[in-house]
Amino acid sequence: MIAIRGCDLGKSYGHYRVFDRLSVEVEEGQCYALFGPNGAGKTTLLRILATLSRPSTGRFEIAGHDGLTEKETVRGAMLFLAHGSYLYDELDAVENLRFALALRGLTLTDRQIKLALDRVAIGPFADLKTRYYSAGMKKRLTVAKAMLIRPKVLLLDEPYTSLDESGMRLMNQYLRDLAGEGAAVLMTTHDRVRSAEVAHRVGVLDKGRLQECSVEELKAHAIF
Amino acid sequence: MINAMIKWMQRYEGWVGAGGALCLLAGLYLSLVASPPDYYQGEVVRIMYIHVPLVQTAMLAYSVLFAGSLWYLWKRDPIVDNLCHAAAGISAFLTAAGLITGSIWAKPTWNTWWTWDARLVSFAVMFLILVGYLMLRTFVDDPEREARYAAVLAIVGFVDLPIVHFSVEWWRTLHQPLSISMRGVALSGEMLRPLIVMSIGFSALFVYLLMVRTQMLYLTRLLHAKKGRLLSHAHLSDLDT
Amino acid sequence: MPFFRVIRWVAWKDLISEIRSRETISSMFFFALIVILVFSFSFSMDQSETRELIAGIIWVAFAFTGIIGLGKSFSAELQNDCLEHLQISPASKGAIYLGKLAANLLFMLIVEIILFPMFVIFFNLDVVEQLPVLLLIFALATLGLSTVGTLFSAMTVQIRAREVMLPILLLPLAVPVMIAAVEATRGALNGSPIAMYGNWLQLLAVFDVVFTVMSFWVFEWILDS
Repeated sequence: MIAIRGCDLGKSYGHYRVFDRLSVEVEEGQCYALFGPNGAGKTTLLRILATLSRPSTGRFEIAGHDGLTEKETVRGAMLFLAHGSYLYDELDAVENLRFALALRGLTLTDRQIKLALDRVAIGPFADLKTRYYSAGMKKRLTVAKAMLIRPKVLLLDEPYTSLDESGMRLMNQYLRDLAGEGAAVLMTTHDRVRSAEVAHRVGVLDKGRLQECSVEELKAHAIF
Repeated sequence: MINAMIKWMQRYEGWVGAGGALCLLAGLYLSLVASPPDYYQGEVVRIMYIHVPLVQTAMLAYSVLFAGSLWYLWKRDPIVDNLCHAAAGISAFLTAAGLITGSIWAKPTWNTWWTWDARLVSFAVMFLILVGYLMLRTFVDDPEREARYAAVLAIVGFVDLPIVHFSVEWWRTLHQPLSISMRGVALSGEMLRPLIVMSIGFSALFVYLLMVRTQMLYLTRLLHAKKGRLLSHAHLSDLDT
Repeated sequence: MPFFRVIRWVAWKDLISEIRSRETISSMFFFALIVILVFSFSFSMDQSETRELIAGIIWVAFAFTGIIGLGKSFSAELQNDCLEHLQISPASKGAIYLGKLAANLLFMLIVEIILFPMFVIFFNLDVVEQLPVLLLIFALATLGLSTVGTLFSAMTVQIRAREVMLPILLLPLAVPVMIAAVEATRGALNGSPIAMYGNWLQLLAVFDVVFTVMSFWVFEWILDS
């Protein structure tokens, strides 16, 4: 079944048109890596699918629900790991997770949270204010959040930036697990090596058009 | 929808404008020449024929803005946003003109430019809200968000105005035992007629301005979109045709 | 109920952050102190004049202090794009609004309760018997300021010139709150029986109800598209 379906999406910011009539489909259990030069509109597409900004034209469905009319349901099924970490500086890791989960109506035990923090290797810093976290640690914390939420659709904006080697392995392990459970994953990235390890499909967004290529081409560095 | 509304405006704006102009001319004749001076106020009363219709029309314009804002939030039609923007600008202008003419009328009749009367204060607050509304619109980058915020502000402000009026009325009876008679002029038929004609004339003028200004804002938006298309990557231009 | 849990968590989050950073309340407090100081220089007052002016001075100080707190309320959400997070969370936007409102109301009330003794000392007021009714007035009027204020804080934080626009939008709408608060406070400080100014409390209550309901309803269009 198709979990992410964008039909004829277009977005313009007043004067400037980013893209036009863009269609994308990602099936359940698939991981789709979206490449493209800076300014091609990758993040814009992601933000539309994440219900953050309204498309100027077109419609989209997430997990079978219309993204414009059934926003609340879509937001319950989807998780967006954006460029911003969505963390409150004055709260510690556990409090930040609890807050994010509470907004989604989830309650988890201390043990579950502790376990997730240990998996991303920030257990020792669990009660440190996230103000003092490095960018990589913040990223790991958002991975822990995603692990606890287990969304049906996961959107990621450049998931590998600021992560170290083991962090990237952790991210890929998580993405594989999630896709294995039947979730759809759509990410924008510039990291060919890392994304080739998990991606089932690869797309290149350039000059307003989305072109698909194979994972082999990606591995062979044959795209743009 | 957009096209239907614009076409409708283009078809009728001339008639409304001409009708309004005729009404205003007739009204000016009736009020400045044909009607008698007031028993108490003398010739000064003639300001009323301008002031009262101005105030009425300003309130009509804000009501249109209020209804349009609700309509916009419901349907999200950009042309309705242009209509609201137009109505707000005209309403702000009419409110300012109403305050000024009111002040000029107040000086000879009440011997003061300004008094903290409930109508005056709520009208001044309305002016401030409208100016805030127009300022807000210039400070938002995304047109869709601009429209949304403006609509919310217009609705909240509209609901606030009766409460402002009510609170100032209470406050005034507390502090200024009525030293000035706020009783309106007792209107005879000869004075009522020009007033009604002027009111119709100003309302028609408002509707005419609303039509023209809405179209202007709509065309400006269209122009920006076109310009944007030219500025966008060259590849996108072939998608437009 | 998830709805009330969201309210609680949003308010709790603001509260904990404030307890740890003390940013908002301390800046509000010192700003208000300066306002009081300036007022005390501007009017050299003896007892009888003070009585007439003090209610107005108190509320001008409270309103401007409140604007500082309200402005900070949502600018804190801009860090790490937390505002976006609130937008795309499946939680009810109305619940988020009520949570922010509760936190703002609490911060403003705390500052007012710390400040009021300063007025009592500097302007030599006699208030002991009137304290309960003064607290009621403060609560009602502060709720009025924060309902509209929280809404406009969320609005102006997402536009340019936000520091200017918050007071420009908020103060005209808050005219009834200011009038009612000043009149009721004056009545209470003069020791008049409550029947003399009770209608102002009613007006404040009406304003509070109308704008809480209204802001709750329109907040979705501020936070979300």
